[in-house]
Formats: sequence, structure tokens, C-alpha cells
Amino acid sequence: MKNLLETLIVFFALTFMFGCNCDNSCKNTTTQSGNVTIEKKDSSRSPSNKDSVSTNSNEKNKINNNSKTDLPVVLVYNFHVTNRCPTCIAIEKATTKTLNTYFSAELKQGRIKRKILNVDDEANNKISEKYQAFGSGLFVTRVYKGKEITADLTGDGFKFAKNKEGRFMEILKNKISEYLK
Amino acid sequence: MKNLALIIFGIFLSLQGFSQRTADTIISNNPQKLKVKVLYFHITHRCNTCFSIEANVRKTLNDYFKSKIDSGIIDLYILDCELPENKEIANKYEAFGATLALTTYADKKELKTEDLTNWAFQKIHSSEVFISELKTKIETLLK
Repeated sequence: MKNLLETLIVFFALTFMFGCNCDNSCKNTTTQSGNVTIEKKDSSRSPSNKDSVSTNSNEKNKINNNSKTDLPVVLVYNFHVTNRCPTCIAIEKATTKTLNTYFSAELKQGRIKRKILNVDDEANNKISEKYQAFGSGLFVTRVYKGKEITADLTGDGFKFAKNKEGRFMEILKNKISEYLK
Repeated sequence: MKNLALIIFGIFLSLQGFSQRTADTIISNNPQKLKVKVLYFHITHRCNTCFSIEANVRKTLNDYFKSKIDSGIIDLYILDCELPENKEIANKYEAFGATLALTTYADKKELKTEDLTNWAFQKIHSSEVFISELKTKIETLLK
């Protein structure tokens, strides 16, 4: 009986472990300068509003300050849910690789701001609604003289990021380059 | 008892491997009459959004174009782009992940393809909007 109980416990533990092929960790990352680094955080413990553009006045001021230098600022936002699929993870990784490979100088200068946001985290409700991001999403926004234009690259991400990473990186690189001008 | 545990564990792992696999769907009733081919590609391990796009594509066709499907005017292809047998068609459509496309035909000849992937991911969060707009797109191509 004891053995049976142990077996069942092991079985349920394994079921729980393998039951989801997703990365359950909640990654909320804000990168203001230098290479993009990924930090893992427990969403339930993450400080609220830390990564929300719409609700963080410091962040807004930083973006506005950059616009005063008469150069556009580009926001690169990856949205995801808590339980992530392989494509969603691939989109984030390819975005990171694109930024580190082609735009490390702009990241350091603050001309590109990158965020990874969990839409299930209440702290991100406002920005998720602004971008209409209810699941995985990749948005590139150009902020210049108080005006914003946004490109939704979610479809390209789902189409190419997992199995044709180079193609996806090219699309993202071109869009960011266009928006930096 | 150890053997039993190993057997259960083995069955469990096997089930995991197949849990997300879905069979391909190909509905092609009369190539002579074909006007619009609806294609949706997906990868093997799918997310909810990908499942939702497929479900809404199917619902659009079932609700508004059932007679066109039955008569062969519209074809439906739902394919796993990661399966070796689908490699050729996936390459043709550059479908390396979730991809929605509409291809028009006339007199058995392929005319043009519209890639709706970005549109699908933008609209899928509202089933009503997705279905209504996809219906209009297909109707336009049928004219």
C-alpha cells in the first residue's frame, strides 16, 4: 500500500512537471541600456507598474526627453501569457538576438527601449489594453515629437521565429531601422 | 510494484508525445470547380491562439460556405507545417509556423495568394470580427 501511494505521488508529480510544455516562469524585463538581458521573476512577486509605460511617469519622461533631442525613440514590446508556447518563447529569443546583434548602440543610447510583459500580470493591464495584446504579441512603436505609430509584428513572429529565425530577424531589423530614422 | 510504476510512467510519456498532435485536414471535393483554397498551417506544438484561429476558420466556412465546400468551389487545408509530408507545400507558402493564406483559382489554374497571417493574429481576439472579416474576404475572392 505504501509502495502504491509512493508510485501515485511520483506519477502525479511527473504529470505536473511534464503536463505543460510551456515556460511557466514570468519574465518581466525592462532594458534601458546595453545588451538585452533576461531576468526571471515570479509574476506574483514582481513590483507593480515597474514595467508599464503607461503608468510609469519616469518611463514617460525618459521617452519624452529623448524626443527633445529630435530623434525618434523605438519601443520594442514582447507580450506573453504565463503559460507560453514554443513559438512565443522563440519570438522573444529572436527579438533579443536581433537587438543585441544589430542595435546594441541604440540600446545603450536609450533610443530603443525593450520590454517583455506578461499580459496575465495585473500590473500590465493598461499597456496590454493599449496594444490590444491579449496573448503573445510583438509590437514596435516609433515615438517622435509626441506622436506614436505602431507596427504589429505578431503574425510574422508566429510565421517565422521558430523555424526561420533569420527571416524573422530580418523583418524585425528592417522595421526597427525604419522607425529609428 | 516498481514495474507497475515504470509501465505507468512509460504510458504517460508516450501520451505526452502525442497529446498535441492533430491530424491534417484536407477537404477538396471538386478541383474542376475550385475558386478559393483556404490554407492554415500550424506547428506541431500549438498554443491557444493557433487553435483558436483554426476553430474560427472552420466556423466561418461551416456557417457561411458549407454549400461551396460541398460543391468543391472552396477547399480547406489545415496542415502541420513541421511534418515531412507537408514540407513541399509549406515551403511554397513560406509557412514555417502558423500561417493563414487564401489562394484563388480559375479553370484549375492558380491565380494569386493572399497571406492573412498578420491579420489573423491581430483579429483573433474577437471571434465576431475575425469571422465577419474573413467571410467578407472570401466572398470578395469568390466574385
